[in-house]
Amino acid sequence: LDQLVGLAMLVVASVVFLYYTIWTLLMPFVDEDHPLQSLFLPRVWAIRIPVILILLGSAVVGSFLSVVMIRSNRKKALKAKA
Amino acid sequence: MTRAQQHISLGLLLSSVYLSCSLGLIPLPSKIQDEVIPYLPFWVIVSFGAYLLFKLGLGVFTFNDVPDAYKELMGQIDQAKTELRAKGVSVD
Repeated sequence: LDQLVGLAMLVVASVVFLYYTIWTLLMPFVDEDHPLQSLFLPRVWAIRIPVILILLGSAVVGSFLSVVMIRSNRKKALKAKA
Repeated sequence: MTRAQQHISLGLLLSSVYLSCSLGLIPLPSKIQDEVIPYLPFWVIVSFGAYLLFKLGLGVFTFNDVPDAYKELMGQIDQAKTELRAKGVSVD
């Protein structure tokens, strides 16, 4: 099962890298009426998606950190009282 | 020269090159200047993330089980737990 997970991670990483590289570095040089353009979203999204993911990721990491810290402080306070 | 100094100097070099490009100090064809330069930092971040994920996936894919080391590790964990409990540290 874990081999499957590893393989899936490999494939996802390669697909994401190839798509993003072609999107940002090659599409500017492709004419507007080439059929390849239909595979790619409008280029503004090439900046929006990473920014949104970074913000979401830092929000998740920050909330996890704060929950753990609050929980440990509460435990320390309980222990000090008892 | 320490590793940190090496990394910092490389980072400064690349960022100064990128800064000079994005401020228009280097005459580039306008197509490249307008469409490629602004996207380069995001491309670096995305490809770095993809590389890390690739490395992780490769490691997970090619990892072999070692049952003897597992038993030894579990034994060491139990031993450490009993020793710490004897010394008064709260374990689990």
